[in-house]
Amino acid sequence: MASMYSMPSTTPGYSFPSTHPMTASGPRQHAGFYPYTDNGGSTLGISGKDFTIMAGDTRSTSGYNINTRYEPKLFKIGGDGPKNEGATIVLSVVGFAADGHALKERLDTVAKMYKYQHGKPISVAACAQRLSHILYDKRFFPFYVHAILGGLDENGVGALYSYDPVGSYEREQCRAAGAASSLIMPFLDNQVNFKNQYIPGSGEGHALQQRMPEPLPRHEVEEIVQDAFTSAVERHIEVGDGLQMFVITSNGIEEIYKDLKKD
Amino acid sequence: MFIARSEYGNTFSPEGRLFQVEYSLEAIKLGSTAIGVATSEGVILGVEKRVTSTLLETSSVEKIVEIDRHIGCAMSGLQADARSMIEHARVTCQNHAFHYNEPLRVESCTQAICDLALRFGEGAEGEESIMSRPFGVALLIAGFDEDGPSLYHAEPSGTFYRYDAKAIGSGSEGAQAELQNEFHKSLTLAEAEVLVLKTLKQVMEEKLDSKNVQLASVTRERGFRIYEDEEMAGVVGRLESN
Amino acid sequence: MDSLVAQYSRPAFSNEGYQEQEQQELADVAPPLSLKFALPPVAQQAAWLRAMTDDHSNPEVPIKIAHGTTTLAFRFQGGIIVATDSRATAGNWIASQTVKKVIEINSCLLGTMAGGAADCQYWLAYLGMQCRLHELRHKKRISVAAASKILANLVYSYKGMGLSMGTMCAGVTPQEGPALYYIDSDGTRLSGNLFCVGSGQTFAYGVLDAEYSYDLSEEDALELGRRSILAATHRDAFSGGYINLYHVKEDGWVKHGFNDTNPIFWKTKLEKGEFSNVTADLE
Repeated sequence: MASMYSMPSTTPGYSFPSTHPMTASGPRQHAGFYPYTDNGGSTLGISGKDFTIMAGDTRSTSGYNINTRYEPKLFKIGGDGPKNEGATIVLSVVGFAADGHALKERLDTVAKMYKYQHGKPISVAACAQRLSHILYDKRFFPFYVHAILGGLDENGVGALYSYDPVGSYEREQCRAAGAASSLIMPFLDNQVNFKNQYIPGSGEGHALQQRMPEPLPRHEVEEIVQDAFTSAVERHIEVGDGLQMFVITSNGIEEIYKDLKKD
Repeated sequence: MFIARSEYGNTFSPEGRLFQVEYSLEAIKLGSTAIGVATSEGVILGVEKRVTSTLLETSSVEKIVEIDRHIGCAMSGLQADARSMIEHARVTCQNHAFHYNEPLRVESCTQAICDLALRFGEGAEGEESIMSRPFGVALLIAGFDEDGPSLYHAEPSGTFYRYDAKAIGSGSEGAQAELQNEFHKSLTLAEAEVLVLKTLKQVMEEKLDSKNVQLASVTRERGFRIYEDEEMAGVVGRLESN
Repeated sequence: MDSLVAQYSRPAFSNEGYQEQEQQELADVAPPLSLKFALPPVAQQAAWLRAMTDDHSNPEVPIKIAHGTTTLAFRFQGGIIVATDSRATAGNWIASQTVKKVIEINSCLLGTMAGGAADCQYWLAYLGMQCRLHELRHKKRISVAAASKILANLVYSYKGMGLSMGTMCAGVTPQEGPALYYIDSDGTRLSGNLFCVGSGQTFAYGVLDAEYSYDLSEEDALELGRRSILAATHRDAFSGGYINLYHVKEDGWVKHGFNDTNPIFWKTKLEKGEFSNVTADLE
């Protein structure tokens, strides 16, 4: 978003520029301490009647450089062993990858300790509240991340929680975050929540009836996710390379990987 | 022998005993009797109030207290010690709800109380001991969580066990034997009320009436609640008609 | 010297990963309420935070925190009406149109959210916990005066650190009757009959002040709350989405819907003839 309008950097794009590229021309405030890098990329999550799909592209950028073509933004939380087997919760983070990793480590530790201390796996609702407080613990030195948490609630219904960098959160049907969120979110509003869709023939002018949102079947959601990303890749430089999807159902988490354009 | 005992206060004696802890268990045997009975519908707690003077305001004797909406506890032993344990339990419950947006499990709450009970020694992380002696009070912790009703007994030694029915305090030996005979898995909540009172009646020195005993229940629908005076009188009435 | 020795006599791996205390806090059953927040390693912490997050002074800040709001609450003979919009903005971006800006502290107390969304959510949840502990310790519900004072003292202790919240606490207790307090992150705490807070407050005040009376009927009071928010969503770009309406009564609060402003706007225009400045012709 913001980086789209900034001037090309004159310094080489190391992952830790000492100054904020945006403030270089404008008023310089605290330029000496800029601990963040925007690693680009985009994530999204959509919840359905008995599943939640989390997705993210796998490109990692800093400035106009592409660091790597495969750096996942999705993490399983609270499973067993180093591969988090048997996990039922997925965290996606976009923004500054190092902060994202630190956040994931903390939440994963919390989820694992929870299981030992309370003798049951943590629920998404509990995990969601805890994630909010982990983010808020750094209210005065924020994590530069937009997090989305997905899983199934106690009734087996898809649950999706989205966060701002300091921990305000909300349960939603769908959410896109990161570089291309402003491209993807309006598309999801229309295709998932049926915003501005009206029932044909239900009336004239202001009497037209709004089409009510209903949970979408899994195959449709998978298509929407892919369309969202292939479209975002066409118009955003920081998105591309690969699309990683985690489909969370009562049978566990299924991983799907699709290639995206590599230019 | 006495010299040896005082020497080994909070450390092991050569025979491998912790006398302070053993004495604290003795302190509970001086306390008033408290009984808990768990049924499939919920848990009943009952205590005797020792009304030592006719001038005593019986409502100020608080031996059953609320920890959270879904957990309550009955105590026997030093009341003052129980205050700080209960405060700790309440804060732990609320803290859990704050961080996890869900009620704390009864077992986790009991564990938290027992963690505090151990703080007469140094903490695991080398924290200084915060008490000069172990607590002199035992608790019966009754609660209702996603696994249904449960009853725990927590001791000053920091150990805890789950029970179907448990008696603590001065009359505990007789009462426990009675519970052993009378308890069965298909007990209803109303039968448990009567069983608790009946057992208390046998071990109490005073004659049982609706003023010198107190009952409380924890159920899924109503959570923890202490019985009102009329309700108490009703149960005592049922006991007498049996 | 001792610290120097300690530094090198510790095994190398102990410096990896989390610091000891941090590790301990993660391992605790529930982290302690130390209220210790991580701070940036700079001298001017508040100024640094502002440079990173305050999109008012610099629209290009890297971390955009959700903002923007219209909230209102007023006392009347039947209790208190609380109404809010539901839009959250991060810069020009509408981050959400479905924010619940009325926070249910407990069954008898409501808080409203204006300013930093996370600040309000976190501290009102914290207040909820303190209110519950008060209830357990004192065996009676906390007064609205006391609850609002807890919050005011708390945010005052963080004054200058960069918290941003303007909140109202509304509740009805037997000793106070309907009570309404305004608290903000500067440390202000006011009691009053009527408050509007947020970027759209002036528009809401315009309608509310014109029509308000303490003797309003319940139905009229609800309608006035709804109409005031509608006016604000119409003229304030940072407000919009849905109208969230609550009525606080002696035996607790009642929710009166979370309704889309768009149909309400057209209904108000077409059926009542208001907003005649807006054209309704489709051609």
